Amino acid sequence: MRRKLLDIICCPVCKGDLVLQVTEEDEEEILSGSLLCNACRVTYEISEGIPNLLPRTASED
Amino acid sequence: MEKEDIKKVVRREYGSIARQAGSSCGCGSGCCGGGAEVGRSIGYSDQELASVPAGANLGLGCGNPLALASIREGETVLDLGSGAGFDCFLAAQRTGRTGRVIGVDMTPEMVERARENAARHGIENVEFIPGEIDALPVEDASVDLVISNCVINLAHDKEQVFREAFRVLKPGGRLMVSDIVVTAGLPAALRDSVAGYVGCVSGAVEKDKYLEGMRKAGFADITVHDERVFPIDCMAEDPAIRAILADPGRLGWKLEEVAESVRSISVSAIRPA
Repeated sequence: MRRKLLDIICCPVCKGDLVLQVTEEDEEEILSGSLLCNACRVTYEISEGIPNLLPRTASED
Repeated sequence: MEKEDIKKVVRREYGSIARQAGSSCGCGSGCCGGGAEVGRSIGYSDQELASVPAGANLGLGCGNPLALASIREGETVLDLGSGAGFDCFLAAQRTGRTGRVIGVDMTPEMVERARENAARHGIENVEFIPGEIDALPVEDASVDLVISNCVINLAHDKEQVFREAFRVLKPGGRLMVSDIVVTAGLPAALRDSVAGYVGCVSGAVEKDKYLEGMRKAGFADITVHDERVFPIDCMAEDPAIRAILADPGRLGWKLEEVAESVRSISVSAIRPA
């Protein structure tokens, strides 16, 4: 995902902001890392450039 | 079928379509001929079909050319159920570099495939996200146009999808969708057929109920622009539907009658400013 995507995505469950943590990034995009929803206490993984934002709840972690 | 079961079945079926090279067609178990052939029959021009990455059109849609034509440069467009990315790539040509297109699809294989298509052709103003259309990972009031092509009928709770579309649209933003609806209640055996579900037919609700869902979500100026009978050949080639219809004693419905009750509609609506 490109960094710019961050200004439009949100937590699919509570719609709150996500906190980005980057593990690997090239000049174009974030390749791996995570997006944390503090309110739901759920971490959404970014893997191979794809942020998986299928809804989850803390109990599923 | 329960809500979660439906999602699992739909994800599995479309995942397997994404993994096939896209040589044959979609609508689940089988229908409609190849992507380009279906594309032309539902209103895309040859020029449009030629202008997107090969493999992006899996022949799964029921057509959304009107929505694409309405896009202005610089707009933010969200595609619900973006599949391999066909409509997103066409939309991205219209938004230009000052705009952006986001495709959401709950099937990870489809998202991967769409990303590969984008990367191969250096398309930079499109992003694809695994997500669910009834729980969008998209900020409130951030989108100018929500499009969706033959997908909402697959959702268990269509009204919730419309509520989500309303939420993410900016005031004054447009919803422009193509979808499958029915005019009369389909026989339960057809409606409940899992394969039929993915064949874009049995998940469909009655047209009035569909439009009422939009109204309840808050949309205004709801207009049906096009309504056509779903191509009977598509249904006749769906093995699950054929099997069910082959037992007329059980249903008392003929293929022609079922086909007549299934419509492809294209609808637009506005989130009031």
